Amino acid sequence: MTNTIQILSIEKTGKESSLQKEHNNKSIKIIDGYFFSRNLDDQKFTKISKLISNDVSQTILTKKNVNKVLSSYCNFNWVVEIKFLPGVTDNIATTVKEIIKDNLKSSFKSFELGSTKIILIKGRKEDITKISKNEANPLIQTIKIYPFKQYLNNFKKNQFKIEKVKLPKKKYSKKEINLDISDYNLSLIGKLGIEENDKSRRGTLGLDLESLKTIRNYFSTIKRKPTDVEIETLAQTWSEHCKHKIFSAKIDDIQEGIFKKYIKGATEKIIQLRKDNFCVSLFTDNAGGIEFNKDWIICHKVETHNTPSALDPFGGAITGIVGVNRDCLGFGKGAKPIANTYAYYLADPNKKYQLYRQKNKDPMLPANFIAKGIISGVRVGGNCSGIPTPQGNVYFDDRFAGKPLVFCGTVGIIPKKIKGKLSHKKKANPGDIILMAGGRVGKDGIHGATFSSEELDPNSPVSAVQIGDPITQKKMSDVIIRELRDENLYSSITDNGAGGLSSSIGEMAKESGGFIVNLEKVPLKYNGLYPWEIWVSESQERMTLAVPPANVKKVINRFNARGVEATIIGKFIKKEKAIVKYNKTEILNLDMEFLHEGYPKLNLKTSFPKIKKEKKKIIKKSSLIDKLHKLLSSPNIVSKEFIATQYDHEVQATSIIKPLQGEGRVFGNATAIKPLFDDEKSIALSQAAYPQYAETNPYDMAGCSIDTAYKNLIVSGANSKKIAILDNFCWCSSDEPDRLYQLKEAAKACYDYAVAYQTPFISGKDSMFNDFKGFDKTGKSVKISIPPTLLISSIGVVDKISHLTKMTSDDGDILLVLGNTRNELRDSVYSKIIGYEKSKNPVVNSNDALRTYRNFEKANKLGIINSAIGIDLGGIGIAVTKMAIASKKGLTIDLKLKNKISVDQFLFSESQSRILVSLKKNKLANFKKIFKGSDYTIIGKCTGSDVVEFKDNKKIIRGKISDFAKSYKQNIKGL
Amino acid sequence: MNVLVLSGYGINCENETLHAFEVVGFKGKIVHINDLIQNPKQLNNYQVFAIPGGFSYGDDTGSGNAMAKKILTNLYDQLIDFSLKDKLIIGICNGCQILINLGLVPSLNKKDPEIAMIENKSGSYECRWVDVKVNNNKSPWLKNITILNLPVAHQEGQFMIPINLLKSIKANNLIGLQYINNHKKLAKGQFPFNPNGSKDDIAALTNQNGNVLAMMPHPERAFYHYHVPNWQNNTSKKFGDGYKIFMNAKKFFA
Repeated sequence: MTNTIQILSIEKTGKESSLQKEHNNKSIKIIDGYFFSRNLDDQKFTKISKLISNDVSQTILTKKNVNKVLSSYCNFNWVVEIKFLPGVTDNIATTVKEIIKDNLKSSFKSFELGSTKIILIKGRKEDITKISKNEANPLIQTIKIYPFKQYLNNFKKNQFKIEKVKLPKKKYSKKEINLDISDYNLSLIGKLGIEENDKSRRGTLGLDLESLKTIRNYFSTIKRKPTDVEIETLAQTWSEHCKHKIFSAKIDDIQEGIFKKYIKGATEKIIQLRKDNFCVSLFTDNAGGIEFNKDWIICHKVETHNTPSALDPFGGAITGIVGVNRDCLGFGKGAKPIANTYAYYLADPNKKYQLYRQKNKDPMLPANFIAKGIISGVRVGGNCSGIPTPQGNVYFDDRFAGKPLVFCGTVGIIPKKIKGKLSHKKKANPGDIILMAGGRVGKDGIHGATFSSEELDPNSPVSAVQIGDPITQKKMSDVIIRELRDENLYSSITDNGAGGLSSSIGEMAKESGGFIVNLEKVPLKYNGLYPWEIWVSESQERMTLAVPPANVKKVINRFNARGVEATIIGKFIKKEKAIVKYNKTEILNLDMEFLHEGYPKLNLKTSFPKIKKEKKKIIKKSSLIDKLHKLLSSPNIVSKEFIATQYDHEVQATSIIKPLQGEGRVFGNATAIKPLFDDEKSIALSQAAYPQYAETNPYDMAGCSIDTAYKNLIVSGANSKKIAILDNFCWCSSDEPDRLYQLKEAAKACYDYAVAYQTPFISGKDSMFNDFKGFDKTGKSVKISIPPTLLISSIGVVDKISHLTKMTSDDGDILLVLGNTRNELRDSVYSKIIGYEKSKNPVVNSNDALRTYRNFEKANKLGIINSAIGIDLGGIGIAVTKMAIASKKGLTIDLKLKNKISVDQFLFSESQSRILVSLKKNKLANFKKIFKGSDYTIIGKCTGSDVVEFKDNKKIIRGKISDFAKSYKQNIKGL
Repeated sequence: MNVLVLSGYGINCENETLHAFEVVGFKGKIVHINDLIQNPKQLNNYQVFAIPGGFSYGDDTGSGNAMAKKILTNLYDQLIDFSLKDKLIIGICNGCQILINLGLVPSLNKKDPEIAMIENKSGSYECRWVDVKVNNNKSPWLKNITILNLPVAHQEGQFMIPINLLKSIKANNLIGLQYINNHKKLAKGQFPFNPNGSKDDIAALTNQNGNVLAMMPHPERAFYHYHVPNWQNNTSKKFGDGYKIFMNAKKFFA
């Protein structure tokens, strides 16, 4: 009899070798453990072991063999046992349970099961502690360290334990909250949460005093006290995360707020000018939709998952990516996700920042742990879901030490019409059943929406962490997209993200009028959740559907046949009321109008910030080739190949411009997928952000982001009339007037450049408080704010395969730089690494830029361009080196041609709106005709040798391509 | 000519796999494993059984294991039957891992899985293009092919084979594909030519009849010329190398 199955891989696993390398210790072995809630007899033990292991590569440990098997490796002396905390999603355990149930059928009934990682080590106790810190996250896992002898003893005495969720047995009785209390006590409810009977607090609601007073007034008008569920629901619905109060607030003299004036305003202006059908669905749905061809719509959405990723990088990132996948599933009647995008803004993984959320305790996770966790989270989420992840980038800056930024995006595709009806239109009708499909509800992510709107401080709740289960979502997604949608079996659909059911049902009910929900019907992961917890839980992998009663049985059967749970939890009604019941007791009854629009509107003022004068740095004396190597190997320019190769970008067989380009595999600025087998049109994707320019000039920072994101698509071959953009503002301290000034300036630039380029904003999201308030290692209090970051994601249609460009040049090609190079080195990679003298930030002149882009587009369609790279970080110097590395062909660059600026300014300035192109010699005449009156410089040619050479009047400087490639492909330290 | 392409529980390459078969002339259907378990007789309508790539059960308990156990419990006899007829079976990537876990390949000792698919030597997921050479020309899937340029995308692509079994695999000529380097010679385990460290550079195995092929690379992702990296330098061909595998299936029944 035993209650544990422990499996050992005979050969060294990848995880073991990376641990061994990292800790310089060859004596590390990992065991996969499964702890059962009941004992297994010998027969069951053998049978189950066989089901979950492989005879060839693994050994099953038993009481009899454990000593002998393990001592054959070495004399281990310590054991680290890592288990999920009770209630945390344990995907492996779920799979094992399914295998056992399927195979043993009814002969083995109810049992609980937990998966465990057991690390055996020979080493000193200090080393063991270090390893355990690197391998586990105390927020979601328990870590036990004990001597190896005790481990053997546990084996003999059968003492391995699974920990179940032990929620106190509690009977819910309707709880009314008295708001007729002092302002101070009222504000405590907002900041710390509702007080329980035992005087403990539930956790922050993120409601300010004014909002609480508004709630008090509403209830005094309807002459009753609010219930706890009502207050929780209002907190979720009114959160900054859900309502974007700052973007919609009156700000200075802008009555309608910056979203209406600048973002939506730009799109409305563009639609008015364009008069075409390009924009299909904007701002109102889970994602923004544009026309792909006459029969298909594509949609795009980019989300951030910053705070969860700071607390649990892997969990935060995986839920970020599978969460934004659901935004596509929830676009219109359900779009199929066809590509993921990512952008990470991280602290230097090689540095130790040693930050604490509380004085001398509660440390922030190390920067490299955060970086690695985020990268793997998106890998597992994307790869397991079968959605290619071709497009992304990573940027490093110390100011992300307190909060990493994790942008996750998804592109989806949906036929324009389904059974004759427009697919992007949906409407929950009165009488429709509310169906919840997918995963079950637990305590995951409770207070996520209210808390991601607040700064990260000691009171940040731990249950705000969620873990994704991409397979459950994949199963659910397949049923929706392949079976239910095309038969028109439901009238509306949306995803459960921030705010859970309270948010998804609340939003959807706007279509019908109102809703009645019976919370006791919601399937739970474990018993003992309070109704308010069920209502706001952010457990993942769930969609909410509005299903006409006649179809309900069919829909549920279809889900069940594919191993997916689906449950009736209420119905939509005509009356504009939000009603929630729990075992027949009404615990929420609000007017829909108050629920959605009742929150007090903000009135914001801005003030001009002090701009720090950058100290003059001394330019480090080094040769040109040396500088090129330094820049190429700097973290923000160096190749991100190690991410591209671990993210499956080939699945769905759509990849047409890959993340790694040319024989020399250079990480590209844009990628493209061809989503339909029967249409040669492609979708080009790119993105850009310039947090490094933000503090000096937020207006031009935003201009640069839009220009780069747009330029990269033009360079890739997209049709300029079919490009749309998305805005993701990640700001800091958005209650401070100078930060709001920067925000207003950036938003104004969004309007100006989007209108100039005729690129509508189709979707966007903002995250306004990316600040860390805590302590350094000496116990001194610190605040670290991210630099304001505006990520612009661009999506465009490439009409023909032949329009897609490449970045590799051929022997004899002439090299040209399109656009103007100015002395714009301020805040550049060069100025950070080498130093700078007096210089400016890049400024985008949209007229000049558009002239270049239109001409480029024309020349490319005529086949005049042989290769092209958008010039960005590191300037011309880096662009030409990348071209040489990609094509493995030498180039010669003539430095005499620069005018009025120094060689370094010419080579490393980050002036915007420039493209490096190569042409076949015989195309030059045609090129000149097209580019008449436009700025361009012939800078050299492709020699086909193995060196890049730079010539001026006196000398020739050479660097070998293979050496440049080595610098460019260096590992990022700490990763 | 009909092909059944399996789906469900995290398999995710079914659409492009079916498309490849359709283009070369098959009629086909994507069938959810639960539907197949409900009605296994439908297998009689098909000549080809394809298990596409994906992440069935999220690779938990080892890639391909959980799905193999589901098939073992519910469909094993029918699948063995299928393999003994003049029919074809292909498992690609996760499909390959499932076939190996089922023991349908190499199927020298008919009872248990004889091989394990273990984690790549690099310890990380590898999505990259590789060159493979055909070793076993007698398999209908691989006839008249010499070298293929195909992408791999997997975390567990290393074939772990006991020495004695490897000997008989070689003696029976069951190695289907092997990774080669840029000089068209065996990669000899060298990364990135051999992306996972697989012994003897094995990228695919067949059963003794050659009608069952378990391959780690993805032919359906190298189907059209524009799938191939840097295709802009060579736009003369319509198809990529993966096409040849599907054409061979068609020729087998022609």
